[in-house]
Amino acid sequence: MEPIVKTEDLWKIYRSGKVDVAALRGVQCEVLPGEFIAVMGPSGCGKSTLLHVIGGLAQATRGRVLLDGNDLTRMSDAARTMLRRHKVGFVFQRFNLLPALDARGNIAIAQHIHGDGFDPHRFDTVTRLLGISDRLHHRPAELSGGEQQRVAIARAIINEPKILLADEPTGNLDTKSSESVLRMLRKLNQDLGQTVILITHNPEAASYAHRVLHMRDGQIVDGIPVD
Amino acid sequence: MIGHLVWKNALHRPLRTALGVLAVGVEVSLVLLIVGLTHGMLHDVAKRIEGVGADIMVQPPSASVFLAFSGAPMPEALGSRLAELAHVKAVAPVLLQLSSSGGLDIVYGIDPASFRAVSDGFFFLQGHGLEKPDDVLVDDWYARAKHLKAGDTLHLLGHNFHVAGVVGHGKGARVFVELHTLQQITGSPGKASLFFVKCDQRSSTNDVIGEIATLLPRYQIRPLQNYLSLMTQTTVPGLNTFVYSMIALAGAIGFLVIFLSMYTTIVERTRDIGVLKSLGASKGYIVKALLGETTLVCLGGIVVGIGMSYGGQFLLRDLFPTLTILITPGWILRAAALAIGAGLCGTSYPAWVASRKDPVEALAYS
Ligand SMILES: Nc1ncnc2c1ncn2[C@@H]1O[C@H](COP(=O)(O)OP(=O)(O)OP(=O)(O)O)[C@@H](O)[C@H]1O
Ligand SMILES: [Mg+2]
Repeated sequence: MEPIVKTEDLWKIYRSGKVDVAALRGVQCEVLPGEFIAVMGPSGCGKSTLLHVIGGLAQATRGRVLLDGNDLTRMSDAARTMLRRHKVGFVFQRFNLLPALDARGNIAIAQHIHGDGFDPHRFDTVTRLLGISDRLHHRPAELSGGEQQRVAIARAIINEPKILLADEPTGNLDTKSSESVLRMLRKLNQDLGQTVILITHNPEAASYAHRVLHMRDGQIVDGIPVD
Repeated sequence: MIGHLVWKNALHRPLRTALGVLAVGVEVSLVLLIVGLTHGMLHDVAKRIEGVGADIMVQPPSASVFLAFSGAPMPEALGSRLAELAHVKAVAPVLLQLSSSGGLDIVYGIDPASFRAVSDGFFFLQGHGLEKPDDVLVDDWYARAKHLKAGDTLHLLGHNFHVAGVVGHGKGARVFVELHTLQQITGSPGKASLFFVKCDQRSSTNDVIGEIATLLPRYQIRPLQNYLSLMTQTTVPGLNTFVYSMIALAGAIGFLVIFLSMYTTIVERTRDIGVLKSLGASKGYIVKALLGETTLVCLGGIVVGIGMSYGGQFLLRDLFPTLTILITPGWILRAAALAIGAGLCGTSYPAWVASRKDPVEALAYS
């Protein structure tokens, strides 16, 4: 099976002033379609950076990233934008819903940007699956953290992305909401075959995944036990 | 959908949106009122000059069509040379003076006999013509605005005048005094600002104009039959500069307010912009959303501005009944185009900045 994501000797170096910070130092990994992967590692080890580069939000400094067969490192900014639009869904720790729009608007705008117009069937399926059908006319400020995160997940998967990238999606949630969000992610993976990469600090959360990738100092270090 | 986003974003910060709308409203009404006032005044003056009933008006070379700004550089005696020309029936010298007591009004200094000869005479509503040096005639509008009637005293140009009569409006000015009196007051004895010429018949007007042109080359000689249509803005260079400066000022207000408001908007919405980018929104999409919001604010401002202009017209008419403000559809369109143009220009830089934001940095913004 062809991997959905494949990185080869991936480097990301941030240049802040005169100091170079190597956030990724030769990351080597593969994610197969339908996999649910957790990424763990200490703060500052480069987890978010890896997710941004894989999702085409940031440009790699060296190496290759293949996303569904497309080499992101050779793409222009506009091409990466297009790729995000069609193949990637992001979920963030801070939910990041647009405050001016209600839940429905937040999900619909992703469909609009995607360009295929509003698909009521897909919309119903997704909102029902995430249990937010009766919250659609509330604005983010009127929703609980757990509800906001479920709306954000709905927005991320409404266009059937090849991969869902979630950066500590339960980091701002209480235990109960965390569990519900994680169950949702597992359900999406099991029922819809959604490929998921989940960054987390929480071993409990990681236990929902098929496979855990451990990162340290900008590299993936497998075989080292969870700390 | 982008319209929905634009609409919701505008509503999300109602105060800022309202201020933007108000600023554009001020911009639009500034244009409409300034242009309306100058056009109204020109129109008014022109109509009244046409209404004098003379056939030709002669002014010195440098004179402005907008009579109030002319000095009095012609010798009154020039009138007798004009009177000698063929087909000329009568010539009336007029001295103009601007009076600024309670609004701007032009005062005509006239010689009653010759003025009667070139015009068809005044229509007296009250009283009688100019007889003594301190007599003044006012028209019915002026009388109504200043609550004057025949026999009252009118303080004008630093002197107390006796209102000898109230006449029907439309005879050149709203206020008339004796030519010699005005020459004395303004310190220009023997001078006139313009001559009205009456021909023996209408058809000889062009011949007479030709004769005067030979006699007084470079002088401004105008037939009065189509004077109103002649008095367009283009014939008033100084006034044009003024009007265009005010329009530029109005445009600058719109530009700056929208620029600042959109700039704060994109800073405040940094994370939203990051989110849109993470969803795959192109630069064009972000620019379009911001331009859309500006267009919305401008449209609101245009409506408010038109309303404010008519409100201002109503108020000014109440305060200064002799003022005419002409608000025309053509200028409403031009003011609207200015507002939208200035708004879009003011948005272009913030929109460019927003579209180039780095999505990762934007998402990290708190
Ligand atoms: N824009 C930037 N400029 C300079 N250095 C950066 C920038 N972004 C990240 N870094 C550095 O890169 C390294 C990796 O950061 P990253 O955010 O990927 O870590 P992380 O594993 O996600 O950490 P956390 O668990 O705290 O979220 C860190 O040392 C960080 O300081
Ligand atoms: Mg992180």
